Amino acid sequence: MSVPRDRWLVVACAFALAALALMTWQIVDPTVWPVIVAMSIGQLLGTASFAAFGCVVLADLRAQRRAAKGPGPPKTE
Amino acid sequence: MTLLASPLAVVELACAALSAILLVAYLVIRPPLVRATKIGLLFGLGVFPIGAAFSGNVQGFEATKERVFCGSCHVMALHRADSDDGASGSLASRHARNAMFGSENCYVCHANYGMFGTILTKAGGMRHVWLYLTEYRNTPLDEAKKTIHLRDPSMMNGACMQCHSTDDTLWLKVPDHVASLRDTRAGNLSCASEGCHGLAHPFFRTPVGGEKR
Repeated sequence: MSVPRDRWLVVACAFALAALALMTWQIVDPTVWPVIVAMSIGQLLGTASFAAFGCVVLADLRAQRRAAKGPGPPKTE
Repeated sequence: MTLLASPLAVVELACAALSAILLVAYLVIRPPLVRATKIGLLFGLGVFPIGAAFSGNVQGFEATKERVFCGSCHVMALHRADSDDGASGSLASRHARNAMFGSENCYVCHANYGMFGTILTKAGGMRHVWLYLTEYRNTPLDEAKKTIHLRDPSMMNGACMQCHSTDDTLWLKVPDHVASLRDTRAGNLSCASEGCHGLAHPFFRTPVGGEKR
């Protein structure tokens, strides 16, 4: 069972928004926990979201290439 | 809040805002995954967040040098309060009033020096976080001020000697300096010991034979 690409992009956007919020938090409140969280969880979420986006784009490109090739030769019996 | 005046903070906020606009727009409109959408998401998920992360990291590293940062763990509240106190005569406070140290006086005095000083200091900072989480998180301030101690007290003279070189003729005119020169340079006698110029923090006591941290 595969998850639709749209769903992956929504998750990636949500992760990226969370990462941005964490990274912005350290600017407003530059104390120990905001800075550590921004540099660890924030970076992790941001990287994961970008990786998910990359996977979706790659999968889309492969699908387009496959569609451009058209259906294979008809099977002979 | 003064950090908001930093150019890096402004860059990070701008990148984060632009990225958020693109991402929210995508989530609201949900356009089909055509080339324009991919390019928009490339900026929203890649270019702007990477810009925000880069400037944020640099800004974060700068923030770790600030006294506000060091004092944000409750066990450092007294150290911070003393440095903040313009009327205090402690070494820490006097150095905090010096523009060369200023709001970064904790870092300037406690950072490792040498070629890999910054890296060693950051690694040591992570040890502080670990110790805070495992030992000091629930320690009352009154108890903490008696138990917190320097990991390597002999290193501290090196930090002092970055400015007070011990080679200066004025410095060498002080008989006590001449008498203790070898021990001072070797770190056997602390510049900030009670009989000399300390204590650095008025309530701070180094336990005899201090356990390594």
